[in-house]
Amino acid sequence: MSEVTDSGFLCRLDDLAEGEARGFDVPGLRAKVIVVRRGGGVHGWRDLCPHYAGGTPMAWKRDAYLNGARTHLACHAHGAWFEIETGVCVQGPCLGKRLTRVPLRLDDKGGIHLERPPKGREI
Amino acid sequence: MQIIGPDLLIFGVDDVPACHEFLTAYGLETTDYTPEKGGTFLALDGTGLVIRARNDPSLPPALKTGSTLRLQVLGVVDEDALNAVEAELSRDRQVLRLADGSLRTQDDQGFELAFRVTTRKPLDLPGEKVNAPYAPARAANALGVTQDMPAKPRTLSHLVLFVPDIEGAVGFYRDRLGFRITDTLTGAGPFLRPQANADHHTHFFIRTPPYMQGIEHLAFHLGGPTELMLAGSRMMEQGYESFWGPGRHKFGSNWFWYFKSPLACNVEFDADMDTHDDDWAPREAPMGPEASQAFLLQWRAKWAPGGGPGGPGGPKD
Ligand code: FES
Ligand SMILES: [Fe+2]
Repeated sequence: MSEVTDSGFLCRLDDLAEGEARGFDVPGLRAKVIVVRRGGGVHGWRDLCPHYAGGTPMAWKRDAYLNGARTHLACHAHGAWFEIETGVCVQGPCLGKRLTRVPLRLDDKGGIHLERPPKGREI
Repeated sequence: MQIIGPDLLIFGVDDVPACHEFLTAYGLETTDYTPEKGGTFLALDGTGLVIRARNDPSLPPALKTGSTLRLQVLGVVDEDALNAVEAELSRDRQVLRLADGSLRTQDDQGFELAFRVTTRKPLDLPGEKVNAPYAPARAANALGVTQDMPAKPRTLSHLVLFVPDIEGAVGFYRDRLGFRITDTLTGAGPFLRPQANADHHTHFFIRTPPYMQGIEHLAFHLGGPTELMLAGSRMMEQGYESFWGPGRHKFGSNWFWYFKSPLACNVEFDADMDTHDDDWAPREAPMGPEASQAFLLQWRAKWAPGGGPGGPGGPKD
């Protein structure tokens, strides 16, 4: 289980292969943060599908966030597809809605951090 | 119309090996499987799922929405029942009789349908037995649970579809195919039971905009709530992700536990659903958390009190 410390450190860039996604439990957040590495960029998204109010987690198995072709983030409850770079849903029940971005910070040693680690507890 | 319910559901998916992994963990038996072609995944009575790659040319065309469900194969009791379906549906649409004797057509919203004389094999397996005070159902020395007891899907129970036109769906399944409406969740839609099946529902429809048309979930029946809890816990322990449950629905009384899946729909474990006959008076309730379940629980890893003093509030805290 990936646990996150107060500094907001998630993982090292080296730990995340190109085209790979992982989910991180962040103390204080009620749903995971998804980190995806693609095309030289690293993107952070809340693991909350916008199909239903409040959002629901999207993987079918731990860290299984991508569609088969690994071109999109997917919610495996009803097959919604989201663009990795923009978070916009391009197919499925939440068409046109988008995921919530989580700003990330890369340090000079290749560490990926939350730009703003949560202070309190999200409800 | 002597329809029993879904014998097979046929899918065109993006990731065949992922579906194989998931459905194996879920407890279905794999036959004729290759990572390229897909395969058939069966419950104990021979009902089940067929998984193919999305672009497999043997599949019926996909809905414009991209839903992975490509065909429902509905089982009927005998050849007479098949002829009755053919006669009724041929009145206003093309119904093909295929070489294997099955029928192929579409419902009013473009969902592909096949009908065949059912191939399900009735099971000779006891259901879960509960010992209540003064009313024990198990023999002396018969155990209620063991860690490694089987908890396999026994039969394909039901599917739930997102449909843009509920009235059209009811018009087709009730008025043309003779399904009974058992109950309705207003704001969502009706539960339907075919005449040759006493189960509370084999189909449930949820009203949605047209771009959502497709499958919402499918479910297999297990032998009882203990099997359901064991099967779901085994999934959780292996890192599969629950969507909803465990809990117990009100309409149908069925225990439920839904898991997200690479089939791009939820796949549910179900147990102890009510059965009905034509004396049943349908109920109605507004869709929402209250009407959806009698109770809802959340899984956690095994835990037990113990380990001695030293917890929060203890001397070291
Ligand atoms: S909950 Fe994500 S697509 Fe329905
Ligand atoms: Fe269900």
